[in-house]
Amino acid sequence: MGDNSEFIGEFLVESTENLDQLDKDLLALEAEPGDPQRLASIFRTVHTIKGNSGFFGFSKLGALAHSGEHLLGRLRDGKLSLDDRITGTLYSMVDAVRAILRAIEATGTEGEQDFRELSRQLAAVATEESTPGLEGQAAGEPDDVEQEPPAAEPADRAAAPVVADAETAAAVVVAPVVAGPVRPASPPAVVPPTVPSPAAAPSAAAATIPTAESTVRVDVDLLASILDLVGELVLARNELKSIETEDPAVLAAAQRINSVTNALQETAVKTRMQPIDHVFSRFPRTVRDLAKACGKEVAFTIDGADTELDRTLIESIRDPLTHLIRNAIDHGIETPAARLAVGKPRAGKVLLRAFNESGRVTIELADDGGGIDVERVREKAVARGLVSTAAAAALADDEVLQFIFEPGFSTAREVTSVSGRGVGMDVVRTNIEAIGGTVEIHSDRGLGTTVRVHVPLTLAIMPALVVHVAGERFAIPQAAVSELVPVRRTGGGSRIEGLAVAPVMRIRGRLVPLVFLDTFLGLRAETACRDAGTVVLVRVDDREYGLVVDGSTGSAQAGRGCRDLLESASLSTIVVKPIGGVLAALGMYAGATVLGDGGVVLILDLRGVARGAELPPLERAAEADGETAVAAARERYLVCHTRVGRRIAVPLADVVRLEQYRARDVQAAGPRQVVRRGDGFTPLADADGLLAAGRSLANGPAEPDAGLSVVVVRVSGAEVGITVERIIDVIAAESSFQDTLTAAGVAGTVALGGQATEVLDLAAAVSNG
Amino acid sequence: MADAEGLTHEPHPVTPTTSAASQARRWCSFLLGDECFAVDSGLVVEVLRSRRLTRVPLAARGILGLIHLRGRIVPVIDPAEPLAVSRRPGTTPRPHLVIAPGEDWYGLLVDEMLDVIEIDPVRIEGPTGGTELLQGTFAAADRLVHLLDPERMIQSLARPRLAAGSRTGGV
Repeated sequence: MGDNSEFIGEFLVESTENLDQLDKDLLALEAEPGDPQRLASIFRTVHTIKGNSGFFGFSKLGALAHSGEHLLGRLRDGKLSLDDRITGTLYSMVDAVRAILRAIEATGTEGEQDFRELSRQLAAVATEESTPGLEGQAAGEPDDVEQEPPAAEPADRAAAPVVADAETAAAVVVAPVVAGPVRPASPPAVVPPTVPSPAAAPSAAAATIPTAESTVRVDVDLLASILDLVGELVLARNELKSIETEDPAVLAAAQRINSVTNALQETAVKTRMQPIDHVFSRFPRTVRDLAKACGKEVAFTIDGADTELDRTLIESIRDPLTHLIRNAIDHGIETPAARLAVGKPRAGKVLLRAFNESGRVTIELADDGGGIDVERVREKAVARGLVSTAAAAALADDEVLQFIFEPGFSTAREVTSVSGRGVGMDVVRTNIEAIGGTVEIHSDRGLGTTVRVHVPLTLAIMPALVVHVAGERFAIPQAAVSELVPVRRTGGGSRIEGLAVAPVMRIRGRLVPLVFLDTFLGLRAETACRDAGTVVLVRVDDREYGLVVDGSTGSAQAGRGCRDLLESASLSTIVVKPIGGVLAALGMYAGATVLGDGGVVLILDLRGVARGAELPPLERAAEADGETAVAAARERYLVCHTRVGRRIAVPLADVVRLEQYRARDVQAAGPRQVVRRGDGFTPLADADGLLAAGRSLANGPAEPDAGLSVVVVRVSGAEVGITVERIIDVIAAESSFQDTLTAAGVAGTVALGGQATEVLDLAAAVSNG
Repeated sequence: MADAEGLTHEPHPVTPTTSAASQARRWCSFLLGDECFAVDSGLVVEVLRSRRLTRVPLAARGILGLIHLRGRIVPVIDPAEPLAVSRRPGTTPRPHLVIAPGEDWYGLLVDEMLDVIEIDPVRIEGPTGGTELLQGTFAAADRLVHLLDPERMIQSLARPRLAAGSRTGGV
């Protein structure tokens, strides 16, 4: 083959695109059998593949395309009409051609697979219903038609096909800025794969001349190096900006360089973008095949295929989306009979759409199938020990659905060839999260399921918060940051409450675990942020935690505010760069970036930090049953002082939130005391009252303005607020839970902070609180 | 600043001879303390003067920090750590020898750059120091030159220092 390799590369790219087009055409043809334009288009595509394979000497491919072309020729000429069998055979041909192309790409040869049987099948289908003796003609016929397609199409049809082809072709174009759809200011950028090639589809090319002429194929590596160079230029620009000068000529030039650099950066970033159609375009075929395999009928709609996404991300969403589609059809959509029985239309609807939403791309897959049986998920979660029965009962339906993303979780009653082995949704989530995305699922029994995937537009460039810790700087992806909170030594809601074991902060009633970045990273032996830091609240994997970083030092307590926060952390747009295998293996850093001053800054991997810090699982902690003493040994407890000074503990897993009220907020509701919260009431139970078995010891009249610390717990689905004098700390248990020493209101004891501490009997609190 | 180009060392007894010249490979030699090491010159990207490093908390001890070079983030390594040689005392700025053993680039903090020498493979002996980080040793006229296997050396640094909570470790 020698020097053909470059041309073969082009041939492969082109043919792959053509095959995508072929899939689309075949699907359209199935919907409207006998559409002459589609047939002509398919014929041309196969014909082109045949011609090219002859040129490169790929004989297997040539033979296959030849048989396919023959069949298509007869279809086109009306000598055959399309039926399921023919469509199936044509699909098999497309798959076979793909397989050969893959083999060529990987090995340079056509591979070992034998497709002669398929060729025979194609020939057999072609000769059905036709006059005998045609077999002998088969070889000759394609030669006859070879001249036809471009030239000899009946003239009266010519106008229509051009339009149709132009439309379909435009849909496949993956060019980011082809013909400048978005901003006229940006030059028509270079385009990675997939402009329909003139050779492949003559009429399409004719109709889209502007596209073909304003785009070029460019090596992806070249684009990457352009982006790198732009990054360098941005740094040089920043250096230039920092030079102090009064010279107006220099200032003017610097100003221009500044604006040009900005524009260049923006443009360069665009070259990384591709329409999501690149992934979506394969799905109609996937859906069709799956529906056939499962004996279901599916109407599949795609919306927003022109939404743009970073090229590197586009590839990483392909597998997760394919899996979701598979699930939707195999498990979601019911059989036609079952649908009719519940009064739904025969064919299930599956809608795949993509759209931009607050700086991210949302991809939504909705089906109108049977939905997910939340109760089954609940049962299964309990059976698998993911959650206790009581805790499961307390979870909202959408929370329960999250268990679907746990490894090995499947509710499918039977394993089918398509899906149902229980591997999958966890992989979907892992893959999506690996690119900084999130997945959420919502389902209504009987009405359908919607899965939403949110992914960032690009990973290469993102807004980040740069924080200072012990003289070092670190970047935190802004997408994960929800809030900055200054740490106060005294007063209001932003005091650090834990001790060394498990520091927490109370933020609007939620208990948020904290990580002191200085000691965590080994930068200081003793944290300096306890009294004068800034908490960066981050959320990752449904878990919220606070990273405590240096605040501005030495400022007066009263003066702390926005300005100080800005001093301790600043927002900038960073270009993410890999840090190499050795450091990536640490799992603490997602990469590094170069800031405007030329300094290199590490980007924190928030998931890695959470793992490394062994944060308490606030959300799904198992309830401490007597049997699970081993698990309980590591459990964390909220330790409080009651109003008469008794030291008690509440399992942190049961704590929903902490609240502060004033004594006058408390109202009587019959025998109970309640406190208004939103549009409902939270019943209150005094800790001392519980311990004294109902005898109200310390319920004496309090000052109306006296503060009331309330630990709101949730047990068996009911919430109750336990009033205490003071919340001391969150402490990890040092012994297993002992339920032998029970007294009234006490469930047992556990060693906390070197003391045996009574654990409040929450079940009792709920029942007689 | 005694930078890379200002070689103070006496010229090397220039290389083996004639016959296998086509076989001979060029090695970039440098000093760590009193010992002479070399890396395949084909792997060398650039020799830089000392730069300001960004520390990488929790990384292995041999990883000194990060620098920025031509759009890449380059970890700088102290080869003396894995090779267990003692450094030359003092705080004079040391050159970074930036190499590309694979996809990633790494900077080696060396004490002093020496010549590029040509070595006939047949004159390379098995490593004497008993360390797997060397490809072999070459006896030059006046000293032994240890030929580094940079990839292995870098891999040896992949182990993180104690995980989170190594609150005492200082670089």
